[in-house]
Amino acid sequence: MGYPCRVIPFPATHRSVLERVRSQDADVRRTAFGDLAEGYWRPSYHYLRLHWRLSPEAAEDAVQAFFATAFEKHYLERFDPEKARFRTFIRVCLDRFVQNQLKADRAEKRGGRTTLLSLDFPDAERELDAMASADLADLDRFFHDETIRSLFARTVAALRTALEREGRAIVFRVFELHDLQPARDASYATVATALGLSTSQVTNHLHAARRRFRETTLAQLRAITATDEESRREARELFGLELPS
Amino acid sequence: MMRLSDEIIGHLREVATWPELPPERYVVRRPIGRGGMGAVFAAHDEVLDREVAVKISNTAESGGDLDRRLRQEARVLAQLEHPGIVPVHDAGVLADGRWFYVMKLVHGETLIEHLPRLAGEAAVLSVFERIAEAVAFAHAAGIIHRDLKPSNVMVGTFGEVLVLDWGVAKVLGATRRPAPDRSGSATPRDRDDNATASGTRIGTPGFMAPEQHRGDASVAGPAADVYSLGALLFWMLIGSSPPAALDEAAHALGTAPGRPARRLRAIVVKCLAPHPDARYAHAGELVEDLARYRAGNPVAAHRESPIERAAAWFGRYRTFILLVAAYLVMRALFAFLQR
Repeated sequence: MGYPCRVIPFPATHRSVLERVRSQDADVRRTAFGDLAEGYWRPSYHYLRLHWRLSPEAAEDAVQAFFATAFEKHYLERFDPEKARFRTFIRVCLDRFVQNQLKADRAEKRGGRTTLLSLDFPDAERELDAMASADLADLDRFFHDETIRSLFARTVAALRTALEREGRAIVFRVFELHDLQPARDASYATVATALGLSTSQVTNHLHAARRRFRETTLAQLRAITATDEESRREARELFGLELPS
Repeated sequence: MMRLSDEIIGHLREVATWPELPPERYVVRRPIGRGGMGAVFAAHDEVLDREVAVKISNTAESGGDLDRRLRQEARVLAQLEHPGIVPVHDAGVLADGRWFYVMKLVHGETLIEHLPRLAGEAAVLSVFERIAEAVAFAHAAGIIHRDLKPSNVMVGTFGEVLVLDWGVAKVLGATRRPAPDRSGSATPRDRDDNATASGTRIGTPGFMAPEQHRGDASVAGPAADVYSLGALLFWMLIGSSPPAALDEAAHALGTAPGRPARRLRAIVVKCLAPHPDARYAHAGELVEDLARYRAGNPVAAHRESPIERAAAWFGRYRTFILLVAAYLVMRALFAFLQR
């Protein structure tokens, strides 16, 4: 059984993820799982490759099977916000899932590989080269850092797509040159010169891009945290910002 | 998808919340600090060509409680023109709707960092008196700080002492605000003054008055600041915040190495009295008593015994008394030898 996995998921509702995954409405539940899979598949894949040392194929299968099984067997509905963060809960579920899978060798019994989600595993695999020195001593920290990296990367991709669609590619280009690939001497003036803009145009574009980046990230964050309280705590930790109650 | 390095992620986390100030007026340079309510950035004022500090609220949306408190803080600071209080230069609304205000950029260190440089009681009192004077000025203007603590005091490069963070300050006095309308609903000013509703605990443990501890923000008056000033002076003299029990605080002061004089201990203990009525009514009274102590005069905080009064009198006129005594001894000796 599959569910849609959007490239740029935005929460379509103000209800928390936990409420949505517990919903009786199959569409609401499916969309919530889509948001969660989008937010967690990449850190899960890297985690399985580096911590569990699964092969690329086995890690792909495990990620696909984990989210499919979580959806079918209502794993995530059991989350208790009093006991742990949702991110930690997902990682612990993933650990148990892989342990069980390895014991039962279920992948073989399934009779081959299952593709449920459209996920870019080769791209995730390429990232592993840059993670050779990843610190796995603190698994929670590793999973957290990879989740944030994935969150920011998706936000940046969404921002690029949205600005290009709006005919404002120059705004993203300024953001890219100043904040994403800054040269050693990057300044408003050097970016202005490089793009043939005035300094005030650069600062205006940069302000606009950063604000969109912040707003999109916070919206994304809401889609991958279980409760409003957890969203607020994560926003506080990520940006030092207080979300409205 | 682009893989973002740890460095870029750290950079994005930082710049995503930088204030969107009009670039022709202010160019943000770097973050200076972030507290529970707001973040402060160093910026360059392009028009006046000077460095300034810009404070914005830590809120993701405009109009929230933090935004209201920031606006209140700017207005409170604007009312308080005093060398011990940071002047506000400008205030306004950012492009994303949040409030900001611009103030003098102070180069220096917090009292926590500065304390080890204060050698001896005189140096401690010299700094403390300037803190108390700034608070006394605010009390005279009908404003209470409500969160006095070492990290909210800055000592500048040239020794200037500044009381910071007036974000939870409360404006007192019905004469200063417009009357409520006939429906009895609060005016906008009332709402600003009570941005933090009664029942919310305001202050910092170790430095907040017992009435603040109980969450009774509405009854916390100038005497609550007096308690915090006493706790601050205790901390400056002893190196730790005072214990909750008054007798323990008094004992700690009396047994500390290089223990403060009895009258100074009495001043601290009076500030730390559990009941507000037993403290100085406002910081001005504390400043006056400290001045009396520094001049060697009796202080209001301590009723002296006849022996202490005599000792103090002797201390004050010691030279004169010794001269008279020497003269009398000489006269007596001379008279004895003449016999």
